[in-house]
Amino acid sequence: MIQKLLIANRGEIVPRIIRSCRELGIATVAVFSEADRGAPFTAEADEAVLIGPANPVESYLNMEAIVAAAIESGAQAIHPGYGFLSERGAFAKQVADAGLIWVGPPPEVLAAISSKCYTRRLAVEVGAEVTPGTLEPVNTPEEVAAFGNEHGWPIFLKLDKGGGGKGIEMVESAEMAAEVLQRAQSIGEMAFGSPECYIETVVQNPRHIEVQFLADGEGNVVCLGERECSVQRRHQKIIEEALSPVVTPEDRVKLFANTQAIVKKMGYVGAGTLEGLRSTDGDYYFMEVNARLQVEHPVSEFLSGVDIVRQQLLIASGESLAMSQDDVELKGHAIEARVYAEDPETFFPSPGTIERVVFPETGEHLRVDHAIADGCVVPPYYDPMLAKVIAWDEERSGAIVRLVQGLKDFQIEGVKTTIPVDLKILEHPQFASGEVDTSFIETYLG
Amino acid sequence: MEKSVNAIMPGLCARVVVAEGDQVSKGQEVAVINCMKTEIQVNSEYDGVVTKVISKEWDEMQVGDPMVMLEVEE
Repeated sequence: MIQKLLIANRGEIVPRIIRSCRELGIATVAVFSEADRGAPFTAEADEAVLIGPANPVESYLNMEAIVAAAIESGAQAIHPGYGFLSERGAFAKQVADAGLIWVGPPPEVLAAISSKCYTRRLAVEVGAEVTPGTLEPVNTPEEVAAFGNEHGWPIFLKLDKGGGGKGIEMVESAEMAAEVLQRAQSIGEMAFGSPECYIETVVQNPRHIEVQFLADGEGNVVCLGERECSVQRRHQKIIEEALSPVVTPEDRVKLFANTQAIVKKMGYVGAGTLEGLRSTDGDYYFMEVNARLQVEHPVSEFLSGVDIVRQQLLIASGESLAMSQDDVELKGHAIEARVYAEDPETFFPSPGTIERVVFPETGEHLRVDHAIADGCVVPPYYDPMLAKVIAWDEERSGAIVRLVQGLKDFQIEGVKTTIPVDLKILEHPQFASGEVDTSFIETYLG
Repeated sequence: MEKSVNAIMPGLCARVVVAEGDQVSKGQEVAVINCMKTEIQVNSEYDGVVTKVISKEWDEMQVGDPMVMLEVEE
């Protein structure tokens, strides 16, 4: 078992990981940049190590500094959280090469699945459906034009190694192919070190459905339910819930079977998520793997009663899963709202100092994951997410009521937050009906 | 008269899109600041000629920090 763990991240995910570590008797090391000196998350760990300046390239993305901090502090393992270096195969390898345990999928698996075309081919091989498009990269405008002319316009050009909604370009016609392909390729080269693009057809009004899974080193894979994350702004999730109001029990059996087959084929070990789309016709398409702990993991924890971070730590310590799919009981309904430091009207960032914060009362029905306190600074250099509020109840409607109350009781002064947007969504009759898709914000709150 | 184009948000300088000697007009984008992963455009408030580029990629910016100097006709 891991004795001491370094958390290579910042903000709310740090205390979240520490909570599971404490329950397992694992000592913790936080790392921080100059801009996060004195931040609440640093005080939660047993030790905290300065790793560099505010610029994330020199701190939270600085592989050498993080590995050195782990070795110097005597940590045996590194948990990358989400974002930053969490899906970087090169970092996982560097951690392993330094003799440390990487809490995540094996470096070679991470490297392979960073290619979307590769994972699309794997999905097709096990008989799952992928978003219609190409399974190999396209290299010339002629190939793009030929695909669109055959299958219809518009189409999406996506980066083979992309992520975070970056570099997704719509091509409306054959005439645009050359210009858009060149733009996408140059974004890919700059942001992800690879210009490779592939094609996906446009799924109209899709719903975003993803499956949370755990896989151990012995080929056991269990699914902890799906999550629906259709309400998004600028390709970023804002409300997530489980189970999805639209997925039928029969669909779920098929989704879980496909997930288990894809995950086994990948050789994946650890916690992860398969993201997909559901079309208005009720077809499910596999989209991509999120090879990390996800922001919205608490939704599945509330639903299944399984502590996903604890399972990650056990799997990384070499233990096999102590549960089978039949042991997983998905009870009631869980729903999460993300609270961002943004203007609720314009979604313009709102860094600054939190003068005062009042938290809602938490318990078996309400959970708040955060790393904020009175007087803490919200630096302008990192992600704007401040907190997540998660509610659970027997029924979806009850969970919504509890989440709305929780958000109304959550007072943050000093920076603007998206709490008013969360409330507008949750109190909208269209959301209550469960009939949502990824255009919800533009359609109903635009 | 020398004038500066200043940061309108804190964050990291993502890029300066003009070079010394460039003619810029009022309202034209001269730089981009990355604030909480959102790119914020910084526009010139004047017509003028760029005399000096002060900021570079990854510089930490506070509101009001000069990013580009301009020679502006009175």
